[in-house]
Amino acid sequence: MNLKNLLLAGGALLGATAAQAGGFQVTLAGQKNNGMGGVGTGLALDQASMFYNPGALAMVRERGVQIGVNATMARQVFRAEAAQYYNTDRQLDNTVTTPFNLYAGFGPQEGKWKAGIAVYTPFGSKLDYGYNWEGRFALTEIDLKSVFVQPTVSYAITDKLSVGAGLVVFALGSVNLQRDIPVQNNTNGQYGHIELDGKADQKLGFNAGVYFKPTDKLSVGVSYRSKIDATVKGGDVTFSNLPNSEVIASRFAASKFDVTIPLPATTNLGIGFMPSEKLTLGLDVNYTQWSAYKQLEFTFDQPVNGSNTSSSVRDYKDSFTFRVGGQYQVTDGLTVRAGGSYDLSPVKDGYVTPETPDANRIGGTVGLSYKFGEHFGVDLSTQFVSLQKRTQTQAELVANGNTDRVAGTYKTQIVIPGIGLNYTF
Amino acid sequence: MNTLAKYTLPALALLSLGLGSCQPEFHSPKFEAGSADFTRYIAVGNSLTAGFSDGGLYREGQVNSYPNILARQFRLVGGGAFEQPLFSETQFNGSGYLRLTGFSATGTPVTANVTNNLAIRATTPTTLYTRFDTRVDNLGVPGIRLSDIHTAGYGSQAGNPYFERITPTTTPLQSYFQRVKAEAATATFFSNWLGNNDVLGYATTGGLGGVITRTDTFALKNSRIINALTANGAKGIVATIPDVTNVPFFTTVRVADVRARFKAANANLDVYIQVTGSSGNTTRLATDADLITLQGSAVIGTTTTGNPFPVGAGLSAAQSNPIPNQFVLDATEQANVQAATTAFNSAIVAKANEKGLAIFDSNTFFRSVAQSGFVTNGVNNTAGFVSGNLFSLDGVHPTPRGYAVVANEMIRAINAKYGSTLPLTNPNDYRGVLIP
Repeated sequence: MNLKNLLLAGGALLGATAAQAGGFQVTLAGQKNNGMGGVGTGLALDQASMFYNPGALAMVRERGVQIGVNATMARQVFRAEAAQYYNTDRQLDNTVTTPFNLYAGFGPQEGKWKAGIAVYTPFGSKLDYGYNWEGRFALTEIDLKSVFVQPTVSYAITDKLSVGAGLVVFALGSVNLQRDIPVQNNTNGQYGHIELDGKADQKLGFNAGVYFKPTDKLSVGVSYRSKIDATVKGGDVTFSNLPNSEVIASRFAASKFDVTIPLPATTNLGIGFMPSEKLTLGLDVNYTQWSAYKQLEFTFDQPVNGSNTSSSVRDYKDSFTFRVGGQYQVTDGLTVRAGGSYDLSPVKDGYVTPETPDANRIGGTVGLSYKFGEHFGVDLSTQFVSLQKRTQTQAELVANGNTDRVAGTYKTQIVIPGIGLNYTF
Repeated sequence: MNTLAKYTLPALALLSLGLGSCQPEFHSPKFEAGSADFTRYIAVGNSLTAGFSDGGLYREGQVNSYPNILARQFRLVGGGAFEQPLFSETQFNGSGYLRLTGFSATGTPVTANVTNNLAIRATTPTTLYTRFDTRVDNLGVPGIRLSDIHTAGYGSQAGNPYFERITPTTTPLQSYFQRVKAEAATATFFSNWLGNNDVLGYATTGGLGGVITRTDTFALKNSRIINALTANGAKGIVATIPDVTNVPFFTTVRVADVRARFKAANANLDVYIQVTGSSGNTTRLATDADLITLQGSAVIGTTTTGNPFPVGAGLSAAQSNPIPNQFVLDATEQANVQAATTAFNSAIVAKANEKGLAIFDSNTFFRSVAQSGFVTNGVNNTAGFVSGNLFSLDGVHPTPRGYAVVANEMIRAINAKYGSTLPLTNPNDYRGVLIP
């Protein structure tokens, strides 16, 4: 399978996710890890180490190929400020997205180095708000996708210490944002609508890590993945339902847009405990430098509502995610997993936007693997992610100058079943 | 394979259970009436209460009147039926109104009168509208001044046609006060927003037509109608009157813009206005303090037979074609309007406090809208003409969106006063100005 085929296969599966982790992060990179609360930096479980800690890859015993796919099913409810309507809370139109991962690792069985290639979807969000919802002038739909491809090498300096690094290729990225425009035509009284759709430029970054296993019972890992800007140049602007008058047409003349959305750097620290042959426990802390996301600023070739730029404040803050998880080998073939995570939202109070209706998240996971013979295995996992109920008032929005979004209360729950296949040799 | 099934099937079952129960929900909000009783709500007022919009009273405006929006919310906490004197579905254009047909080459909105499906039953000697003879809870009468409320025959064919159509034919001389008093006997809640026309007529005619009601008369009549409304123990809300110089009718056409237009044609030109004095008309240079009415925009720049200058332009006071006085509210007239507004509002607030009523301070609210706009769920509405969403094409009366915003502000005041928990409405569900 060459890279191009891989990407084509990925494109078919793609769909990012309804922001399974804080902000619009997606941390569903390894099917085994998904069952263990997302830990992995301090472990050398399988080829997914290329994502969690490239430094650990050299310590992964088997070579192999693995593919995983997840179905992110988000359910959301929104109530506008002041409990505006009787019994008409808004529910997000159900969307299912399928973030995926693919790894191929190779290298001499007993050698000091391993190499591999990883394909994963570290950021994304897809939300479809129902017709006529209160925040329609801020957002009606978003679909943000990213696919990273990462050739990776890892080297074991000693049998206790290994390092590794990967070149991160931001291979596929796309942005689609839609919202209504508060201008009504006199044909049918409908509000105008704008759609921004574009592909992101390909960019490079890196992912590097160190793995240290001083004893049979303890391992630690540190990894860092650099920030990559998702830059769209010359994306398409499409208007619909606008009045026909020249006065309006001249105010909404744009056909192209540029935008840059940062995909922030993450630093990960992980510890692994192996109290027995069969039991592995992991503890991870992720630190994501979301403060890079200051504002969402679009520039247009021609005016949109009389202005060639549109800027909306984000002012995210850096945030931590804490993860814990473990696996237990029940029989030769069966391994079971469980874990949990607490994900602190990078979005400050009074800054919540419909495209990322974020809040602190509590996640619980279960998973299992079954091996059929020597080489082939299946990994199953399910995550339950609950976003805490989060309210912002119009007064908070006014105080922060963020009246471009809507006041109210959001609550979201996400279920993510996933399946992975692996072949090791 | 059996082993796999043994372990995975229960897992899958658990998983599907999780998916089915995943939709998050909120507790239903609790709506309470507090210490108020909304069983029968009546609305007392003028054109604003009737739902007047775009220079006319028509069915869409009536349906979106703030009393009707309020009544809909009151129904959540025990409010009863609320009957409005609606024009029928076949005569839905009522009195006729203005609609936006397009924009001129310079971007000025162009309007036209709607003349089909009217509810006019007579035009001579005066215009009369199709009668409405059943129960009325919305007593808003376009054009009524507080000073008119005791006028006998105000509802006769020689009086106000909007009051005439709801005045019983058996009592044609019944005054507005008498009608309100009769309805108040069975009302449990009321809104009262009278007084705008006691200063509006003076303002919209540039100080030429209409007199400002005397403050003592205003206070006395306001006191009497509030006494009548509360005589039966009803609770209610009153509204202050907004300073009309903040509305698009006075803020859309600016002297500076007119001057710039003239000077672009000839740098020596300037803007001149007519001043009516006791010893005849004089002419003076316009200043930026002068407010030109929306109706003036149609006149300015047109030609006058026998005068070389277009209306408004001139080289000097002697060589000019001044803007007629009725299209200009000068600084003195504005001061008169503001002084009366302040005095009237003092009387309204004092009486409301005496009776313990909720108050919607529309003057403060609309001043703030004029200064900084008003955001509704991400939409920035302003007091701008056509573009602002809140004011209709007559530049004085709100759009349905504007009326929804008024209703929301009243609900806030009612909730604060009576401890009720009425929900607000979403103003963006009500239209602003429809653009062709």
